[in-house]
Amino acid sequence: METIKSQPSKNEKEAEEHSPEIFHETIADSIFKKFFLEVTSLTIFTLRFFKEVFKPPYEFNELMKQSFLIGYRSLPLVAITGFIIGLVLTIQSRPTLAKFGAESWLPAMVAVSIIREIGPVITALIFAGKVGSGIGAELASMNVTEQIDAMQVSDTNPFNYLVVTRVVSATLMLPVLVVFADAVGLLGSFVGVNLKGDVSFYFYFSQIFQSIEFKDLLPAFIKTFFFGFAIGLIGSYKGYNSNKGTVGVGKAANSAVVFASLMVFIIDMIAVQITSMFQN
Amino acid sequence: MPTDTTDIEIKKDTQPKGHAVVEMEHLKKSFGNNTVLRDINLIINEGENLVVLGQSGTGKSVLIKCIVGLIDIDEGKLIILGKNISELKNKELIELHKKIGFLFQSGALYDSMTVRENLEFPLRRQSDSHSKEKMDSLVKEALQNVGLSEAIDKTPSELSGGMRKRLGLARTLILKPAIMLYDEPTTGLDPITSKEISKLILEVQKQYNTTSVIITHDIECARLTANRIIVIKDGICAAEGTYDDLVKSSDAWIRSFFE
Repeated sequence: METIKSQPSKNEKEAEEHSPEIFHETIADSIFKKFFLEVTSLTIFTLRFFKEVFKPPYEFNELMKQSFLIGYRSLPLVAITGFIIGLVLTIQSRPTLAKFGAESWLPAMVAVSIIREIGPVITALIFAGKVGSGIGAELASMNVTEQIDAMQVSDTNPFNYLVVTRVVSATLMLPVLVVFADAVGLLGSFVGVNLKGDVSFYFYFSQIFQSIEFKDLLPAFIKTFFFGFAIGLIGSYKGYNSNKGTVGVGKAANSAVVFASLMVFIIDMIAVQITSMFQN
Repeated sequence: MPTDTTDIEIKKDTQPKGHAVVEMEHLKKSFGNNTVLRDINLIINEGENLVVLGQSGTGKSVLIKCIVGLIDIDEGKLIILGKNISELKNKELIELHKKIGFLFQSGALYDSMTVRENLEFPLRRQSDSHSKEKMDSLVKEALQNVGLSEAIDKTPSELSGGMRKRLGLARTLILKPAIMLYDEPTTGLDPITSKEISKLILEVQKQYNTTSVIITHDIECARLTANRIIVIKDGICAAEGTYDDLVKSSDAWIRSFFE
């Protein structure tokens, strides 16, 4: 027997449209769609970077200027952060090591922690906060005030001039800053040890150098290039593609920091997996 | 051509009779489903000051951005300085666009650079062969032309709205373009400064025989600078004529622009 389904009433239709399942599906669809659009857009931006980076004209003057602004101007912040991290890590670790009678392992433990993980990651996060947001906000405000268009009509490739130089500078400067932060962090650790003891500078650092191996240094150093690249690229991407208007500037700066920080952790996770694969 | 705020008498050339430098035939531009320019047919002659009027959002800025190459056209023919842009290779397009200057609504000055660096930037991009002395003299001449000589070492943030507009004009004119495009040059300025800018536009036309397209909502600026005015409505040129012709238009909507 054929059954005829009656047409749903207007109220039933509305209830169906606003049912929790459909509502959740719509939100999930929208989030996934937005996510994949963003990933596609970022991939295109990255491919454009690799296409433009080898294409003349090479903007050496702008590259040097950006390296100065991104690298040199970040030194004080990185130094203070590194020193405090080394100091705090030493003070916090000492009681636990003392409990097991392993206080003599303190320099080695702090050095390995700082060089392998804490130094690169913390410096990269600070870098993302300072440089990533700075690039995002600067390019977004240039976008709003039509400065990027003005460059284009002045016979300048704005992508090459603004994006390539900033990404390359960030990629090259972060490893330098991490080495600096590691050194200052170990100095902070030395100060931390001497707050409750009397260890000579020579003895402390000879302990550190005895405990560090090449396999600790190299992977940690290599991953910082990837951190720098990701931070520069994401900051530039968010700024260059920002929506017009002042709200777009704030959004670009904010999302550059959030996204770049997340990428730092993701790259770190991948780097640790790769490193442990080779070490095993 | 120093500016003098007290000298507000501006004399305009009669309709120039040069050859066509910009020709548009059935020009069309859409953004998604929104058709901004539907069917634009227009000829702009050498040495002419053409003012474009129209309500906000009718595609006036899109029109001049198509000319300068910031926006690609969808359909139609666009011939600039005798060259059909759709037939040009990328390098030829870049060479062609070097002959076009664009004054942005906001001035679009580079905030991170001083006034001098703002002017040196387009010179450096255009040619590496300029000596330091030559560049210095060009910068000083450009600033003198817009009455900003004293601001050479200031940053854009230290300049007033009118000074920023004049600096934007100097930066564009330093390359001596054949075609000048002005996007709302007097917006946000007081009447006296607006008149100064209008005067500068006329002086640029006289001194360099530049062809200009001026987008504006400022009827006084249009009156002072235009050799010819077109009004854009619904993506087409709805009216065309001199200022006096359009003021006396039989169409009430056209007349309403001038009231």
